[in-house]
Amino acid sequence: MVDLIYTVVSLIVIVPLALFLGVIYSYLLRKLSARFQWRVGPMFRMYGDLKPLLGTTRLLQPLYDILKLYGKETVVPDVSRRRLFVYSPYLSLIFAVAAIFFIPFPGMPLLSGVPYSLIIASYLLIASILFTILGPVASGSPWAAIGARREVELFLVSELGFVLSVFAVAIARQSLVIWDISSGGQSVYFALLTVTAGALMLVAMLGKLHIKPFDMPEAEAEIVAGPYTEYSGKLLGTYYLTKVFLLYGLVALFISLFLPPIATDVLWLPLYIVAAVVLVFLLTAVQVLNPRYRIRNAINWYLKVAIPLGVLNFVIALAIWLVV
Amino acid sequence: MKFGSTPDIAEYVRKEIYPDGLEYVLLRENRVVVKVNPGDLAKVAELFVKKFEARLIHATAVDLELKGFEVLHIYDFSKLKDRLVVVVKALVDKDSPEFPSIANITWQATWAEREMKELLGVKPSGMPDPRHQFLPHEWPNPVESGSIPEGYKFDGSSTTKEMYLPLRMPIEEAYQTLIPIGPYHPGVIEGQIVYVKVEGEQVVAADIKTGFHHRGIMRLIEQRGYNKGAFIAERVCGICSAAHGLAYITCTENLYEAEVPDRALYIRTLLVELNRMHSHLLWVGVVADVIGWKTGFMLTWGLRERVMDIIEAITGNRVNYGIWRMGGVSRDVPQELAEKAKRTVDDLKEECAKLLMLVADHPVVKSRLIGVGPLTKAQAYDGGAVGPVARASNWKIDVRADNPPHAIYDPKVISWEVITDDHCDTFGRTLVRVKELLVSCGIVSQCLEYLAKTTGEVRIKPKTVPLGAEAVGLNEAPRGELAYYIRASDKDSSLPHTIRIRTPSYRNNAIIPLMLVGSNLADVPVVMGSTDQCLACTDRLEIINERDGSRKSLTWDQLVNLSRRVSRW
Repeated sequence: MVDLIYTVVSLIVIVPLALFLGVIYSYLLRKLSARFQWRVGPMFRMYGDLKPLLGTTRLLQPLYDILKLYGKETVVPDVSRRRLFVYSPYLSLIFAVAAIFFIPFPGMPLLSGVPYSLIIASYLLIASILFTILGPVASGSPWAAIGARREVELFLVSELGFVLSVFAVAIARQSLVIWDISSGGQSVYFALLTVTAGALMLVAMLGKLHIKPFDMPEAEAEIVAGPYTEYSGKLLGTYYLTKVFLLYGLVALFISLFLPPIATDVLWLPLYIVAAVVLVFLLTAVQVLNPRYRIRNAINWYLKVAIPLGVLNFVIALAIWLVV
Repeated sequence: MKFGSTPDIAEYVRKEIYPDGLEYVLLRENRVVVKVNPGDLAKVAELFVKKFEARLIHATAVDLELKGFEVLHIYDFSKLKDRLVVVVKALVDKDSPEFPSIANITWQATWAEREMKELLGVKPSGMPDPRHQFLPHEWPNPVESGSIPEGYKFDGSSTTKEMYLPLRMPIEEAYQTLIPIGPYHPGVIEGQIVYVKVEGEQVVAADIKTGFHHRGIMRLIEQRGYNKGAFIAERVCGICSAAHGLAYITCTENLYEAEVPDRALYIRTLLVELNRMHSHLLWVGVVADVIGWKTGFMLTWGLRERVMDIIEAITGNRVNYGIWRMGGVSRDVPQELAEKAKRTVDDLKEECAKLLMLVADHPVVKSRLIGVGPLTKAQAYDGGAVGPVARASNWKIDVRADNPPHAIYDPKVISWEVITDDHCDTFGRTLVRVKELLVSCGIVSQCLEYLAKTTGEVRIKPKTVPLGAEAVGLNEAPRGELAYYIRASDKDSSLPHTIRIRTPSYRNNAIIPLMLVGSNLADVPVVMGSTDQCLACTDRLEIINERDGSRKSLTWDQLVNLSRRVSRW
């Protein structure tokens, strides 16, 4: 009974917590890339004379940017398939929020102990991205169509890397329950798998989060805003909110799968934060160092990297399964 | 320094180049006017282009009121004879202003003829592409200048049926496969439309239309006189303002017997090269931005800011310098400032070299630029490419070497070189600009060294401009050859009768659709950016890929297949 109440309470707590952490990660992404680019970025400590006007910190700037959109007019184009166009952002958000219920946070196992939680979480993350494709397709804009097409192509190859890395770990740990994986012990073999499968997962995250060089679905110089061209107001805000949750969800999934047992006990929380910051830093470094690939180059690159690395992962995972 | 002509050059033109002209007039700086009958224009063009490989600089017309229209074709013969430019003139009647079009002989004349048709109402007969140049294509009326037929009634209505359909596509098809890039689009800052027909992500046809910026600057100068003209000319373009200033001043100084002090010439070179430096840095940044590399954009623009600071310290302004005067410049560069600026420029050169080599060596940048927007030397020659676009196709043209403006580009005094590259694609254009930037650094450094060591006057009072004088002024803008033609008024010695400007983007934008076909949609902004288009300069262009009737033309399918083969991965 106590367990049930604790789970319910933690499910309620995790949503604002995930939003907050997602916003902080987005802030870090923006701030770090700004510093890499000789810019200032959103201020952590505001200049003294601007404090009365802008507040002491702009740490939540990514959130303000989203909230602003909720106050704007929402335009639905005439030529769109209205129902799909309007519901897609919300469905996408719902799936993203549902996914984070299955990913543990230090001190909060949430639903990660349920059978097959790894498959459920992966499915929910995929579904969330699927609806960022379906809505734009329904909008009837050529830019959105091209953006969605690129998104599909990118999605197929990045998903390949994602699945290969996640299930290599599942095979090595002989479990499809995230909680079992994240509470498992560490050893030299698992550390080796963490390096290779973690690298593949990071590569897959680049595609899922549209980090350069894989942001071609949103290439503003070519196709305006890509899938989001026709979206505005609340609907666009919902898509951005989804992205924040996805960023949190993928980082949390990475830590719980590849860095056990950080995501289990509340005492690991400081290390969890450090791991998350390092991950975001890695993503930022890739983001600022690269221009955008063409979609074909991106697919080639993914196939060249994901398949050999994935096969390597499986070999290591099988070896661990058989030997250890 | 005085600027004169080789005395017997007009005789040379009569004997060696074209003996059948009606009249030969020698202008300053080896510009020779040859008057011919209007019917001979095509014959002359054929002779010049085919036999002497002369390059058409510009074709335009002058309204001589009661006398009629004077059609001008300006050819560059500088490869044949030092600094020789031949201006072919033909007087056509006002009532029937017809003359043969030369667009079939040298395709570059297409826009020029459409422009004069629209601006003056003359009628080049046999034009391959008679559409409007600045006005909307569906504009129902003939242009309101020149001759309007008697009893003609203005009709402002336009219906959907008459709507111009880009690339001759039916409306239903256009809804599915036509991507309009512009008139206002994040990839291109200024206004123009590039119609792109795509199959998947493959561009199969392209068309371009500008006309969103026409400000009538040439007319403004005609009304304000020579002195104020220098300031207006600078405002043609915000990025290459120094190049426009120098080209204008070169042109006006060619109207009278000009003398310019050496120190002024050095200051002019200094400014034009600083201008080129910041323009090229800006271009690298823009291309980095277009391929999605915000970091490259920020870093190059950070370096550009320092060049702008030097310019500001010298002239007091960042964009329009306002120091161009007939007979010199308006401001001196103090010796201390020159020394200080020289140190900054030398530091900057190292940093630029490092950063730009990083840009040119980045694997993802290379994958985005190599093979994109291919343009062979033959295509560049036929299409009339100028500047870095032509040089990247391994065609060595540079006005600074061939036909220098009134500044210091003498290889005996300043060591510099013309950069060419044989990549024939966007990567080649990047390399050319990056190397030119470093060459410009060298020139600036040498100029500053001279200015730091010497003193002297910077301006000699100009003489009165003779009535009815004519001149052609050329300069190498960062984007390519820039040409000014001025005809002085017959009545007032302070007013020009006609001024014509031909900007480099006018030419380079022409080739864009040619480079676009067969490329990936992701490369469209890169190809458009690779010419460093300056639409405020241009604003006048239109082209289709199917060059029906032209001699070097490829058929549509050939062109598509050719370009697809090139771009396949």
